[in-house]
Amino acid sequence: MTNNSRGIFRTEQDLAEESFLTDDFLRQLINVGEVDILVGLPTHNNAKTVGAIVQTIQSGILRSFPRERAVIINADGGSRDDTPELVTSISILDGRPASHLNSLRTLHSVSTKYASSPASGTALRTILAAAELLRARACMVVSPESVNIQPEWPSQLLGPVYRDGFDLICPTYRRHKFEVILITNLLYPMTRALYGLKIREPYSPEFGFSGPLGSSFLEHNSWNDGTDGAGAELRLTLAAITGKYRICQSFLGEKLHVERRAADLVAALRQTVGALFSSMEPDFPVWSVVQGSQPVLSAGADQEVLLEPLRINRKRLREMFATGVAELESVFQAILAPATLAELQQIVRLEEEEFQYPDELWVKTVYEFAASYRKSVISRDHIIQALAPLFRGRVLTFLKENRNSSAEAIENNIENLCLEFERLKPYLLEIWKSGE
Amino acid sequence: MPLNRDAQWYKDATIYQVHVRTFHDSNGDGIGDFQGLEGKLDYLQELGTSAIWLMPFFPSPLRDDGYDIADYNAVHPSYGTLEDFRKFLDSAHERGIRVIIELVANHTSDQHPWFQESRSSPDNPRRNWYVWSDTDTRYQGTRIIFLDTEKSNWAWDPISKAFYWHRFFYHQPDLNFDNPAVREQMWEVMKFWLEMGVDGFRLDAVPYLVEREGTNCENLPETHDVLKELRRKLDEHYPGRMLLAEANQWPADLRPYFGNEDEFHMAFHFPLMPRMFMGLKLEDRKPITEILQQTPEIPPSCQWCLFLRNHDELTLEMVTDMERDYMYDSYAENKTMRLNLGIRRRLAPLLNNDRRRIELMNGMLMSLPGTPIIYYGDEIGMGDNINLGDRNGVRTPMQWDGETNGGFSTAPPERLYAPIIHDPVYGYPAVNVLRQKASEHSLLNWMKLILGVRKSTGVFGRGSIEFLYPANHRILAYVRRLGNEVVLVVNNLSSTAQAVELDLRRFKGNIPIEMFGRNMFPRVGDLPYLLTMGPYQFFWFRLRRL
Repeated sequence: MTNNSRGIFRTEQDLAEESFLTDDFLRQLINVGEVDILVGLPTHNNAKTVGAIVQTIQSGILRSFPRERAVIINADGGSRDDTPELVTSISILDGRPASHLNSLRTLHSVSTKYASSPASGTALRTILAAAELLRARACMVVSPESVNIQPEWPSQLLGPVYRDGFDLICPTYRRHKFEVILITNLLYPMTRALYGLKIREPYSPEFGFSGPLGSSFLEHNSWNDGTDGAGAELRLTLAAITGKYRICQSFLGEKLHVERRAADLVAALRQTVGALFSSMEPDFPVWSVVQGSQPVLSAGADQEVLLEPLRINRKRLREMFATGVAELESVFQAILAPATLAELQQIVRLEEEEFQYPDELWVKTVYEFAASYRKSVISRDHIIQALAPLFRGRVLTFLKENRNSSAEAIENNIENLCLEFERLKPYLLEIWKSGE
Repeated sequence: MPLNRDAQWYKDATIYQVHVRTFHDSNGDGIGDFQGLEGKLDYLQELGTSAIWLMPFFPSPLRDDGYDIADYNAVHPSYGTLEDFRKFLDSAHERGIRVIIELVANHTSDQHPWFQESRSSPDNPRRNWYVWSDTDTRYQGTRIIFLDTEKSNWAWDPISKAFYWHRFFYHQPDLNFDNPAVREQMWEVMKFWLEMGVDGFRLDAVPYLVEREGTNCENLPETHDVLKELRRKLDEHYPGRMLLAEANQWPADLRPYFGNEDEFHMAFHFPLMPRMFMGLKLEDRKPITEILQQTPEIPPSCQWCLFLRNHDELTLEMVTDMERDYMYDSYAENKTMRLNLGIRRRLAPLLNNDRRRIELMNGMLMSLPGTPIIYYGDEIGMGDNINLGDRNGVRTPMQWDGETNGGFSTAPPERLYAPIIHDPVYGYPAVNVLRQKASEHSLLNWMKLILGVRKSTGVFGRGSIEFLYPANHRILAYVRRLGNEVVLVVNNLSSTAQAVELDLRRFKGNIPIEMFGRNMFPRVGDLPYLLTMGPYQFFWFRLRRL
């Protein structure tokens, strides 16, 4: 048995269960030794993009942190396209003249396979463990699909940690107005209303964090809850807020992705909304006393909006919303207040042109889902799944409202939604406590 | 002890660099001299020295510590007489110690009679012994070396009413090696000393002998022609003597100075030295392996000269701007420690008097390919005095004991050529030869030990090198091999303990024998060979198949 920092005894079995790092990975980490800078790169079959991304990261480190000890840690979820081999073999000097980017130090790239299938939470856990073992002062995580990554990103995500003592750096981007509607219509306004901080992208595949924050999160997050750490990125943000760590935002420019099929909405909801809902219970003492919201320090622009027209099948969205409301009526009866459900059933009947899922109704819907999640009125996973069709209805409203809007108007609409979340927070507290 | 008669004796040598002025004063005038130096030859023999490199001891106004020569064929009266030198030379040879002297061929003092004649009239026969010009605009592509003091490579001579060319201080006019009479005269100078028995010359500032318009006036083919001519004459008349090049250049530019074994026998490896300090500070082998990868092969009879410190500043000319900034921040935070493009500090203060780092650096110096040079006083960890101007802070009197003037001289302290170091850490009461001789574990005795171990094998002076690249970048490991003899060297550049796995499969079955303690380590097998190393620790293993 051994005694951990909190004085709780762990059995050898506990320790064995905690040893999720392979011996080979540990051997590689021993060779790397203590570092100042750590860049985490979770991957899964990213051979097409990862080479250029690693080169850009290396370039950024050499430019912004030429004297610092640095390592790139690749946590791979069982790629079958030689992604890890690419990460460890690629060099900034490949195919380029060596003279203009001369590094003082060895820049290590280390790869480990954490599972035979991808799980971003497990990947993050692996990266956090490496950061702790290597005593990294400043860390960042980069998506292997960020094809427009710039050499400035390491400076923007690591610099505030390394040089200015911040603990969490959340990115902001230049995005299309209809991108990340889940963030603009739920995650951002709800975390803002709950925790009182205006963090525009509380959940992002890119972020920077300090060694102490990473270690604390590694220690205290519930990694063995059967979800493979789903939503860990969002939980890290919430942990930083509740732990009163220093947070700032950094503008990274335009966000592009590789072409791929549409993401699974339910999976995305599990990762994000599920993580948010599940954090609300332990965080209740924090968020229940928060009123209003405060801005966080931002480096560069807050965020920017691209307005190019986009073809979206609104009819299909409405159909999915209507079908969901009809088919899941019994589920909604368990989750939603009768008045809320009644309103929903009214808007289902609206023609597409008149269709609107108003802010107030949407906020109440989300809050009632959160309260029901806490009470586990039905299976928590079913609660999250049931939110999907309603979210599609909200998406349709957002698209319609902002089809021809200016960037400023869109921002105003998002801001109004945020204020609605804040205004109705007493309602959340009321229904949250109602089951006690 | 007889001299090593091998024609390539310089490959196995350990060279001790000393200025006669600094070592020991026999007549109490406050200045070291040849009789004093001769009296300390036993010390140098005991240390394990096999060659002495003497800095300039010729008559000179001493405005550049003797590198401004006013007479090539005599001894500065402060240091003794030609007879004193001859006696010292014989005594050194009796102890098996060879003597290498300076040949400052590129320039003279402006007090040299040759220059005085040259400047006296455009018609003087020696006018063309120096490089004169009516304008100061020729050779514009030439860099200025002493940036801190010189604004131009041309200086106006009010007597001659013309400009003369100088690559170093303005009072050091460059000789004109396009003139056959100058070349012949320089050979006469060499002959003078060779006849007396000196074993070699360290040729100062060799890249700059010849100037050509439209070039940077460095490393020109015409310069190599001059040097080849001198080498040819040396080999013809004095076989077994050695030429050592001082050319602060990149490795690729240095390679031509070896020619086809028809130019220099040895050359300093200038770019390696700052990178050893850099690698130590970074705790990363990269700077060292990188520069050695860029170092070209040299002819079989040729050899690199390696050093950690010398009489000049720790030169940072052969590093990138980023590397130079890093070195300044790491080793010369106090700006008074900086001079020209370098750092004017001794070894021990550079390494914060950390015995482990001093040993590691010496371990690398002794085990990398080349002939090591020890700068006087570094074997006892002498300090420096940055309050003295120019490079004089690293040229203070040798510290022999804890008595007055550190045993260097019986003169009143104020009459010493330079104040002896007397600060609490590096001062002569704390750091001196006598005290370290008496202490079994002193740096001096450790230096004797490592020099003895190095001398026990020819592999370090003559063997090939092959780098191992263990995944732990803090470990610098290489295999030295000469015939059947194989030595594995493993250096931990880190301030903390490190584990390293070495791929030694090709040496499977060998038993590593640690060369200092002669202890056996586990036999090499198929698995990676695991070593755990303390901070700044290094191992030399002789691999034996038994």
